[in-house]
Amino acid sequence: MRNVWIGIDTGGTFTDLVLVDVKSGNYIFHKVPTTPEDASKGILTGISEILDLARFAPADVGLLSHGTTLATNAVLEGKWAPTGMITTEGFRDVLELARQRRPSFFNLDIPKPVPPALREARIEVPERVGYDGEIVTPLDTDAVRAATRKLRDLGCESVAICFLHSYATPEHEQRARDAVKAEWPEAYVCASSDILAEFREYERFATATVNASLMPVMDRYLQRFENGVRSLGIPDEPRVMQSNGGAVSPDAVRRAPVNTFFSGPAGGVIGAASLGVAAEVNRIITFDMGGTSTDVCLIRDGNPNNQSVREMGGFPVRTRTLDIHTIGAGGGSIAWVDPGRLIKVGPKSAGARPGPACYGRGGELPTVSDANMALGRLNQKTLLDGRMPVYPERARVALEKHLCQPLGIDLERAASGVLEIVNVNMMGAVRVISVEQGEDPRTYALMPFGGAGPLHAADVARTVGMPTVFVPQRPGLLSAIGLLHADARGDFSVTRLVPMVPGSLAGLKDGIEGLRERAEDWLKAEKLDKDLAIHEWHVDMRYFGQNSELSTSFNRNLTEAELERLAEVFHGMHEQNYGYRMPEQTIEVVNLRLTVIVRRPVPPAWKQSGGGESIEKALIEVRPVWFAGTGFVDTKVYRRESLPADATLAGPVIIEQMDTTTVVPPHSKVRIDRIGNIFIDLETVR
Amino acid sequence: MSNTVDAITAEVVARHLYTISEEMAAALIRTSFSPNIKERADCSTAIFDAAGRVIAQAHRVPVHLGSMIGAVDAIKQRFDEADIRPGDMFAANDPYNGGGTHLPDINIVAPVFWRGKIVAYVANIAHHSDVGGMVPGSEAAVCRSIFQEGLRIPAVRLVREGKINRDLQEIILLNSRTPDERRGDLNAQFASNFAGIRSVEALFERYGEKTEATIAAFLDFTRARFEAAISKIPNGVYVSEDFLDGDNEGEKARIALKLTVQDKRMVFDFTGSAPQLTWARNIPHQALVATICTVAKSMLDPDVPANAGYFDTMEIIAPRGCVVQPCDPAPVGCRSISCGVLGDAIAAAMSQAMPEKALAGSGPHHLVVFSGPDPRNDTYFVNYETIAGGMGARPSRPGIDAVRVHASGAANLPIEALEHSYPVRLERYALRDGSGGVGEKRGGHGVIREYRAMADGIRVSLSAERQHVPALGAGGGGAGAVGEFILNPGKPNETRLGSAMADVDLPRDSVISIRTPGGGAYGKAVSK
Repeated sequence: MRNVWIGIDTGGTFTDLVLVDVKSGNYIFHKVPTTPEDASKGILTGISEILDLARFAPADVGLLSHGTTLATNAVLEGKWAPTGMITTEGFRDVLELARQRRPSFFNLDIPKPVPPALREARIEVPERVGYDGEIVTPLDTDAVRAATRKLRDLGCESVAICFLHSYATPEHEQRARDAVKAEWPEAYVCASSDILAEFREYERFATATVNASLMPVMDRYLQRFENGVRSLGIPDEPRVMQSNGGAVSPDAVRRAPVNTFFSGPAGGVIGAASLGVAAEVNRIITFDMGGTSTDVCLIRDGNPNNQSVREMGGFPVRTRTLDIHTIGAGGGSIAWVDPGRLIKVGPKSAGARPGPACYGRGGELPTVSDANMALGRLNQKTLLDGRMPVYPERARVALEKHLCQPLGIDLERAASGVLEIVNVNMMGAVRVISVEQGEDPRTYALMPFGGAGPLHAADVARTVGMPTVFVPQRPGLLSAIGLLHADARGDFSVTRLVPMVPGSLAGLKDGIEGLRERAEDWLKAEKLDKDLAIHEWHVDMRYFGQNSELSTSFNRNLTEAELERLAEVFHGMHEQNYGYRMPEQTIEVVNLRLTVIVRRPVPPAWKQSGGGESIEKALIEVRPVWFAGTGFVDTKVYRRESLPADATLAGPVIIEQMDTTTVVPPHSKVRIDRIGNIFIDLETVR
Repeated sequence: MSNTVDAITAEVVARHLYTISEEMAAALIRTSFSPNIKERADCSTAIFDAAGRVIAQAHRVPVHLGSMIGAVDAIKQRFDEADIRPGDMFAANDPYNGGGTHLPDINIVAPVFWRGKIVAYVANIAHHSDVGGMVPGSEAAVCRSIFQEGLRIPAVRLVREGKINRDLQEIILLNSRTPDERRGDLNAQFASNFAGIRSVEALFERYGEKTEATIAAFLDFTRARFEAAISKIPNGVYVSEDFLDGDNEGEKARIALKLTVQDKRMVFDFTGSAPQLTWARNIPHQALVATICTVAKSMLDPDVPANAGYFDTMEIIAPRGCVVQPCDPAPVGCRSISCGVLGDAIAAAMSQAMPEKALAGSGPHHLVVFSGPDPRNDTYFVNYETIAGGMGARPSRPGIDAVRVHASGAANLPIEALEHSYPVRLERYALRDGSGGVGEKRGGHGVIREYRAMADGIRVSLSAERQHVPALGAGGGGAGAVGEFILNPGKPNETRLGSAMADVDLPRDSVISIRTPGGGAYGKAVSK
């Protein structure tokens, strides 16, 4: 029986591992230091250790699911492979012209990002396809071969093939790809229509070039990782989490490393969604607050929203991604006084080193964590279950020196001000993702995780007007847990810019057939059972002349009647979203999308081991803690693991556990459910 | 300084306001129609206090800043506050009567009421791709009077207590070559303001009576911050000049600037600038304000919040009737290109005060407007495009290639979207090699973009600056190349066109090449 499942989430400082024995339902958690030079080293050590801790053999492992930051780090640090580009004659600079906007309107010293394919490695070849897919100039394959030789001589490892209108007719790109392969079989090759068959050339070319530049890097990493896993004696190949929340084979990730940019955050969101379903909470906004950044995502009925474009290292990478919004503020964000004597928080962070002043690792500037320390919200002696000593006095010194003295305010006001400012930034993120999706955040519950989420969640929820905070059992490990919940998922799309009229049916059906074939190939390559696959078809539409689309699902067997139904649906969606409809205006189809999902078995829910006998026995101490409206009050501090299931408490209280601290403000009630989730119900206060 | 409000509450309320302006921008971009707004993001949103001072702005295009300030002022002048009701919205675009900067930018402004009185205004601006006038796109340097540039809208009430004034709206629509698009874009502008009103009301509910004092304090904090930045440059008088392309080929028109820095204030005096031009290169008052505010912020403190607090540290002197203060009915359609040159003059003066952060001259964008029948769907099309030039270099870095400079900032239109929408085909889109000035740090390169006409009856209107006068280098660096419009490049009938032309015939299969100017270099070249 291969009943052991392992999830591994690689973070900047620590690699989190979670192991579940699906037969008994027992969970084991483990943390090892991340090994930045080669993350697979730390992971493999962690796997051996967690198997030892759980007393299982590698041969017992039935699922190994991995969240990776490799592609993200490679882009942010520019550690990609030397890459060449073969493109349509006249257009090699598209990648550098970008959208002609300055990266910052006011900061004149922020340059455009340097593309992975430098100018001398971008070679034009004769070919041209028109907007309608007609071939205007035939492809010169000899020129492609000559370009290939030149790129090889330049020392490139990878080649992106980027032709105009290739979403309409991919034939030229496919022939060019074959020609490159024939001339140079070892090259990594990515054709833009293979990775993103959608219009808007700059975004498609950037996506293809970034993808090509990561293929060699990802391949080498996965090679080491897979070899390591195999030599440990784990029988199956591992799975890798993608930004779309689905986990796939290493080979799928080798072909499309850009699909893993939000691998780690996606794990957290998938974990949150599964907990929401289990607890029957249908509307959740996740709030994943770490040391340097915070991710928020809206989940409706267990489904996180998706989006198609994310900026990565300054490039508009278009891949299907859970709609996760990131803001550059976290526990390590530094508070400072601007020249106008206004307090600002971030964007600079103290990071892991030197870290917040109260960690005693050399940090001297006041951070958000220092404000929490000074206000009694964090344990005044140690964190991480006693493993990490803290120094509250250093937090107070940092706040005094850098905020109180320059502004002439007291410590309490400075520290509470830092929290107020960081919380209002968080509020902005929660509101903007809601408004963008036409949702009212006040009808959602906030689910905090990450090390700092539960410290701030109640205050953020109250600022937004959200009634409930839902703190999962292991907020610090939710991303790793989420990896165990990931289904297999592939996303495919193609642009078909045609009016939504019966005359377009043939072209649309052709597009649908193309997507179906790609999905079938993918299922085969992933060794997944076709009969278990769920196919979800979506079409992006807009009024002719508009430039952003609304998406709705459709029936694959497209008929005139279905087109009429879609038109009616679109008018209705437009009215709902924007307040008006234009019944006379032609509707235009933009993209066809197919999502293929093969569900995986769900792991058993983690049960809080035992749970305590009584609330009284869970009490650690009583200490003064600051809250808005009351100032410092003596507040009971409980150990989460010792709180009994079904317990209720009235705020203010503090609840501590190894991986986080939950702050429960006055005028709120705490409910603990049967499996140990914490719900904070907030009363409205003025 | 409002002592009753602390630095924390002010920052918190400011973050709230900024979030609201971002929400308004998200609503506007999501719901608008024209590629101009959607793809190129040629739109902005802002919140004003009851006195009409900007308190928060979502940055999309800096030059819009001046236009929105002007529109709110114009409304306050024209309407008695007692006559303004909740649910009203006002439109304005006229540079002389509506506080605008050129006619295609239509401002929509709405009051926000709380406890029965106006506590704020929300506003947004969108660039409409055609508001009538003699040329499609309503923007061409050849216009000789603002009456040729399109429909002039003073501050008027377009929505009364939530109901659109259809009669007025029909006048606006009938005056555009593309009325359906205008209707959709105006609806999007209303939707954006509705979102803003709801959120500002909620903010006042939350912070109650002290909200207005808090906002005032935030402006004071912002002013103090910018004063600190100004005090880092030496007091003194700094003089610069630069030149617009003149009325006729080969002519030029001077922008003269005397900048006085004294006691944390800056005075920008344009006395001595050339008389207003007969062509639409003039810079109306609000565009002058926006350009000064943008360049001063970029040079001194890029992160200062864009609000009235820092605007108050600057004073402008510009004699009436000159190129930077034209009188009604002087044409102003191409002011955003001229503002590129104006921005260089401002940067040049400030560079003398802070040589270690000097900025060389830049190549402003060129404007090209195609129009004609589209035989593919029997419609009449207007396609308005701006094509970036190269930015000037600084001591610390070379000039950035192919970007919009100073107060302008809209994005380009993707080739694949262009060819789907209009009967033209791109032959080439490339960096213009050799166009950046030569020096220790080279100037940014301009762009080459070449279009082939794919249908009969297409005409093109062209507008540019820096086709007569190049972007100068700084610290001994070389100048950038001047821009060019070339018809049928490399063919026997190759023709260089003027820097401002209207309705040039583009017969089927002919090619027009747009070559934008490069930026100036910084410092002498190390070796030849």
